[in-house]
Amino acid sequence: MGKPLKILVVDDTPSNAKQLEVVARKLGHETIFAEDGLVAIERYQSEHPDLIFMDIMMPRMDGINAVEHIRALPAEKWVPIIFFSALESVQDIIQGLEKGGDDYLTKPANLALVRAKINGYARVLEMQDAVRQQTIELLDWRNEAEEQARLGYHVINRLADADGLKDPLLQWFNIAATTFSGDLMCATRGPDGVLYLMLADAAGHGLAAALSALPLTQVFYGMVVKGFPLTSIAQELNRKLKAIMPADRFVAAILAAVDIDHHTLEIWNGGLPDALFVDAEGAIQKRWCSKHPPLGVLPPGMFSALTETYHFHQAGELVVYSDGLVEIDTGHGNRLDMAMLEAVLRQTPRGRSLEGVRDHVDAYLRGQPGHDDISFAVVAVPLEERKSLPVATRQSVQQGPVSEWRLELAWSAQELREIDIVPAVLGLTNQIRALKAHQGVLFLVLSELFNNALDHGLLGLDSSKKDTEGGFESYLAQRAERLANLKHGQIDIILHLHMEDEIAVLDITLADSGQGFDFNRYLADIGAPENVDKGQYHGRGIALVRQLSMDVAYSGAGNRVWARYKL
Amino acid sequence: MLIRETRTDANATLFLEGRFDFNSHRDFRGAYDNLLNDPGARTIEINFNRVDYLDSSALGMLLLLREKAEASGKSVTLSGLQGTVKQVLEIANFQRLFTIK
Repeated sequence: MGKPLKILVVDDTPSNAKQLEVVARKLGHETIFAEDGLVAIERYQSEHPDLIFMDIMMPRMDGINAVEHIRALPAEKWVPIIFFSALESVQDIIQGLEKGGDDYLTKPANLALVRAKINGYARVLEMQDAVRQQTIELLDWRNEAEEQARLGYHVINRLADADGLKDPLLQWFNIAATTFSGDLMCATRGPDGVLYLMLADAAGHGLAAALSALPLTQVFYGMVVKGFPLTSIAQELNRKLKAIMPADRFVAAILAAVDIDHHTLEIWNGGLPDALFVDAEGAIQKRWCSKHPPLGVLPPGMFSALTETYHFHQAGELVVYSDGLVEIDTGHGNRLDMAMLEAVLRQTPRGRSLEGVRDHVDAYLRGQPGHDDISFAVVAVPLEERKSLPVATRQSVQQGPVSEWRLELAWSAQELREIDIVPAVLGLTNQIRALKAHQGVLFLVLSELFNNALDHGLLGLDSSKKDTEGGFESYLAQRAERLANLKHGQIDIILHLHMEDEIAVLDITLADSGQGFDFNRYLADIGAPENVDKGQYHGRGIALVRQLSMDVAYSGAGNRVWARYKL
Repeated sequence: MLIRETRTDANATLFLEGRFDFNSHRDFRGAYDNLLNDPGARTIEINFNRVDYLDSSALGMLLLLREKAEASGKSVTLSGLQGTVKQVLEIANFQRLFTIK
């Protein structure tokens, strides 16, 4: 049997009370007594009985009145009340049941019936206890879940928030299906000013999805700031997710590098709807469809970080969105699909795409959340004349002397194929206090000098081809192919920080094992500032380095370049 | 979602019907767990002919099945792809992960 009950017996006739007590005790229950209604109410409140037997006719307050009072009191649990009365007062019994009694027994007592009733109510009360216990546990669990959700919401918002999302070129919106969005938007500028964007859509929705997307933020922002290329970022995002997430958790994503200065859009799309480049007339000039499984699905050895680069010749907008946008279901077979979205983009003037799409989405949702998270982002892509240069004249920022520091690195073919050399070198220079404030400029100078050494010195590529129609894309393809097959060659990088005539300078020397070139003609011809502004895509690099540094000099066969940068 | 199973020798086919989404988790898992434990079933085919909706949780369940099947030396084939189901699987490039019939 279950736990013993505490039974309150209310009766002004001691022999009746005694009879019930005997039965109850034999069944292992405890009894307490009250001789009238008033005492019954008191004992009910002070003793918290589980079950009550209530006589009807009693002095001071009768049973029906007492039951009415008891039922009016606040109660945490249901206490069954059984009227115990002579059969001739059947009208009283009906009235008692209406006032809140649950059952009745007639006097004189049939002991077998009393026993059966007590056993019956003991079973019901046991069930009530079990349900109450579960309700309490459920409530605790809900409170804990709410507390965890509150913390999760706070942390996720903090981690996902970044200044880069306020970039003047970028507009975006996100509508979460639940408290947590499994869609994540990240944006920031690289050290060379290129805008990097990531739209990630984690499988499922809610906290679990938000949690899957979270590890991506730190990797993305950390690597962009250090100047890693998009391909390396994609590779690392995938590796990280694969390492920490179970097999059924993955993140569809678009990674984009918007290089306004070089007129290129580079994109990796794994599992999201087409990214679009829309021109001023609303025509779709370029479409990047999903070429890869989502991040976190393939092991690093099978993962492909292959990106697709588009060289734009007119202003427009880059549009990316998550599949929640084209899966909005109104429940009447009415769906906003890709074709309709593209129609909206065609009809909306550039600069108003976000509002146009948002209005459309709102009309579909009509205040309801979607059944999936919805994200949409648009990047304004202006066609800018080649800027003369980011830093024209520069004030020296270094105060006081610096201690001398020298670094000499030699990279052979294998490293050149496999390592992102410039971010690796910047990782070292970033440790030197005097150089920390110059990371952006150092990235530009080192990138230009290194790319010249690699592309022209070792890979023998011809930059002038970039200016022809479609030349840029074929240049990139040729570069990737030649780099993958590079067997021999070396690039030396020497950095020397020291004082020269009481000025802190950094000497940067790069030497490659290639054949060199006629640098005297090159510098006179292409490097001249008047040529830089003509919109040529080649020959700018070295002019840029000249402007950022005090001095640039070639030596050897043209395969050794020296640049002096004033801190 | 309804799941019906047929067997021909070493090939077991699960015919799915209806919406394949996060609510299908328990049913789908229950259906394939039996097959994974059955040494006679060498290949598991998932037929989508009568599936009208597929969400990302469903893709996750397929990946989980693929991992478990590989661990017990079985292969997973997807068949009967059509309409939006086909589209969703193509965008996720699942043809590179599964044999499609």
